[in-house]
Amino acid sequence: MSTVKQDTRLRDILGTSALRPDGVAKVMGSFSFSSDMWAENMLWGATLRSPHPYARIISIDTTAALLISGVSAVITAQDVPGKATYGLISADQPVFASEFVRYMGEPVAAIAADHPETCRRALAAIIVNYEVLAPVVDPELAMLATTEQIHPDGNLIRHQKIICGDPQISGDITVEGHYTIGMQDQAFLGLEAAMAFPDSGGKGVELHIATQWLHEDRGQIAACLKLPEDNVRLVLGGVGGAFGAREDISLQVHCCLLALHTGRPIKMQYSREESFFGHVHRHPAKIWMKHHATKEGKIVKVESRMVFDGGAYTSTSPAVLINGITHTQGPYQCDNAVVDGYAVRTNNPPCGAMRGFGVVQACFAHESQMDKLAQACGLSPVEVRLINAMHTGDKLITGQAMESVAPVERCIRETDAIPMPEPLAANANVLEFPGGSGRTADRQNIVRGIGWGVSMKNLMYSEGFDDYATARCTLSNGIASLKFATSEVGQGFVTLAPQIARSVLGVDDVVFETSDTQIGSAGSTSASRQTWMSGGAVDGACRLVRERLFEHVGELHNIDPIRLMIEHTDVIDTIGTFRISVTEATQGITLSETFEHHHRKTEDLDANGQGNCHVAFAFVAHRAVVDVDIELGLVKVVQIATAQDVGRVLNPLSAIGQIEGGIAQGLGLAVMEEIIMDNGRVKNPSFTDYLLPTALDAPSVVAIMIEEPEPQAPLGAKGIGEPPCISVTPAIVAAIRAATGKALSRVPVRPQDICL
Amino acid sequence: MYPTRFNYESPKSIAEAIALLHQGGGEAKILAGGQSLVPMMRLRFAAPEMIVDINNIPGLDYLTVDADGTIHIGALCRHSDLEKSSLLMAHQPTMAAAAPVIADPIVRNRGTLVGSLCHADPQGDWSSVMMALGGIVVAQGPNGRRSIPAADFVKGPFQNMLAFDEIAIEAIVPAPKGIPNGGYLKLERRVGDFATAGVAVAVESSQGLIIRAGIGLTGVGGSTINATAAAQSLVGAPLTAGSIAHAADLAAQAAQPRSDHRGSASYKRQIVKTFVVRILSGVVESMERAA
Repeated sequence: MSTVKQDTRLRDILGTSALRPDGVAKVMGSFSFSSDMWAENMLWGATLRSPHPYARIISIDTTAALLISGVSAVITAQDVPGKATYGLISADQPVFASEFVRYMGEPVAAIAADHPETCRRALAAIIVNYEVLAPVVDPELAMLATTEQIHPDGNLIRHQKIICGDPQISGDITVEGHYTIGMQDQAFLGLEAAMAFPDSGGKGVELHIATQWLHEDRGQIAACLKLPEDNVRLVLGGVGGAFGAREDISLQVHCCLLALHTGRPIKMQYSREESFFGHVHRHPAKIWMKHHATKEGKIVKVESRMVFDGGAYTSTSPAVLINGITHTQGPYQCDNAVVDGYAVRTNNPPCGAMRGFGVVQACFAHESQMDKLAQACGLSPVEVRLINAMHTGDKLITGQAMESVAPVERCIRETDAIPMPEPLAANANVLEFPGGSGRTADRQNIVRGIGWGVSMKNLMYSEGFDDYATARCTLSNGIASLKFATSEVGQGFVTLAPQIARSVLGVDDVVFETSDTQIGSAGSTSASRQTWMSGGAVDGACRLVRERLFEHVGELHNIDPIRLMIEHTDVIDTIGTFRISVTEATQGITLSETFEHHHRKTEDLDANGQGNCHVAFAFVAHRAVVDVDIELGLVKVVQIATAQDVGRVLNPLSAIGQIEGGIAQGLGLAVMEEIIMDNGRVKNPSFTDYLLPTALDAPSVVAIMIEEPEPQAPLGAKGIGEPPCISVTPAIVAAIRAATGKALSRVPVRPQDICL
Repeated sequence: MYPTRFNYESPKSIAEAIALLHQGGGEAKILAGGQSLVPMMRLRFAAPEMIVDINNIPGLDYLTVDADGTIHIGALCRHSDLEKSSLLMAHQPTMAAAAPVIADPIVRNRGTLVGSLCHADPQGDWSSVMMALGGIVVAQGPNGRRSIPAADFVKGPFQNMLAFDEIAIEAIVPAPKGIPNGGYLKLERRVGDFATAGVAVAVESSQGLIIRAGIGLTGVGGSTINATAAAQSLVGAPLTAGSIAHAADLAAQAAQPRSDHRGSASYKRQIVKTFVVRILSGVVESMERAA
């Protein structure tokens, strides 16, 4: 792994590798995750889940469970006082299933008891009588009108076309392929957990929860509880990773309902197995794509049909679909396009947000296509990508102009210039071989391959959504206090926010107030958006406070505030000799300002998929080097070289962390990670059978950050969370293709796909 | 989960242990390393009424080699004892190859070879190794001792030939008649996982000819598979690329794998075939080096 040199001479302002304030506690094990919460007099909550992918509920008998000593409550759908359903985009998912269960693991009832073991026994004592039905699991079949519609809203969640330019145009050369993307899990390490405290009299509830978006949760919870939003207070619990899986409701409503039902604090936490059923996953997708090009390799037209399996409920499927189809072209110029996209409901587990959000699927297809195009035109993978590279000002297939800085060419060229790794030494340690610790790979059968992937990713929410962020800054006695509802899920906003305050205000001491719903929304920690959005809000609030500070100092010392500025930790007069430390200047006063940062407006797509639907974009190139044992089908990713368009580096250590982490997650999708489904049943809900990359699987990462500040972004910095995981997957697969000669049109690539 | 309630006994002699087993009437289990039994009890796949812990019986942790090369492994000899044994390195290449790839270091520190044989997990490594070596399990019960060939010891998944009041006290690898050679290769998705597939090959050679061969297959059937046809095809001839490929094909045919989340049936057959080739190619190399 690469390392970042720490510069200790500087204050922890923007641009330095300030250390995470929660870093030591997390490494030492003393950080309080949401699963570590405890309260006097609390009860444990637990969820009864459907064992069937699709069944009609004939009856639910809770009598025996209620008779068990230590059980305080058993609740079902009939105990939900408000709205019976919730959902991020469409409220189509029941709090508890009542008539039908539509996926394996769907909640049917919840209980509160004095001990987890009592919970286990009580869950076993609830008798649910099911009429088991044949699940609808193939999205192609599900979308047909003649197929059984498994939900009152129908099986087709969304259909959207894109028609751009001349749909009839053709090229000298065409290449096409069918691509399959498996279901990936976010696999955060901190399991779902929450603690709910009921207000006396049951008029409200306070929920401490590991989530990505406190305010969205609150809105959905309050509706189900039939309480005013003001009576539902959410406080951020310690979050152990999210990657999209904490954007939807999981145990929030159940936990609050049990607390209100029993009048006692309720602690809920999922096991790893339950977690696989308790949150949404990355959409499996099937994509057909065809490129028309000139014989020189210049893209003339792209055609595609994409089918995303949304599982039983909507979650964010409509938005994932739009991301998928609007990124069909990838980071390449393309004047003509015909794209047809479907998000479909099935009896598979609900799918929703995961790092890359629809673009991961599209990218695997378009990058596989670029390699086919290169081959057809006699070009190298680098040449074909450079010929087609997008630039700022280009028109996208949605008609939207690329207004973001678009250093695609530079990403490719700088990645290409990174030195290749050494060849595998004859006396290499067996741990460096494919299969590593298994010691089974054979030196003579190891073949090396190189592959490329380049991607474009939209930042922030799209299609007219105003996902603004709010922050408050309070400055007093030289200490800046920041308040925001931004979820720190590991991305590093707790490091960045004080860096911003120190840079703007010239303070060294920055403290946080609790992240909760006692301030305006910060939007979700997703879509690579918090540095831009909440960073913009903190920056805006700090700037407002600085204006107030200058007014205060100017008035006191009879200087026009316009002449004042911050230098290091002092307020200085730019055309005089006056200087006062910020600490001294703020003795005994309190300056407080709140700021909302909004990004520019976007709009819906029309029937032909035309419209300025996205806010901004970021780009990245990946080059993968792999070693493959071709007889056993084992892969070792040796090196990932990458150059990423980051706008501006605000914290080099944080940035490299995002890049390395994203690459590991993209590697997982390339060769390891898949939720294996069998007719609606999850076959591998454990970390024994759902394979995550470990340190032994992690490649050497050589990363270059391309700094071309983004004019639209408040700090010049683009979001960097998602891009690292997107094109690394096709790059690795291309490298395996190069090593093996196999076509490999599906991810993850399984050993049997290589050696049979 | 917690195990169900059980009685715990800690006998000081084999006779005492056998008496306890007899008294348990089929509801008692021996605890040696406990690396399979304890997890199964926690998951409540196993719920014995009595645990007979033999760890306090002295003199069962041996690993010895007779003058003629016969190897004796006591019931309390741990995997890690085998892994670290220079005796094994010198005398038994198939076992020496298998010992370091058993589970993970923590399991190896506690688990035992004899216990692993008794557990009869189709994905257990030692059953294949002992089958390939023509090994023997020595059982002791109220009526004395008897020897059971490793090839017959496993009756099916998690089922062995022991009577309810018998203890497997020792495993024996008979003295080789030629120069022993071979290896063990196992594909696991990650350290500590059960084998996707594993192959044990043990051969004995004399004057360039194979005079005895055994091939055991791990994880590719309802129980450990003795690939006798594949092994027999090697006997009486020198090892050649052709004979190796033929044996590998026969071994792959002998496998009865099922498709699951570890891989498709045809993939597991491919692994078996590849491993037989790789182990025997290694044997050829070492024979050439020795010559």
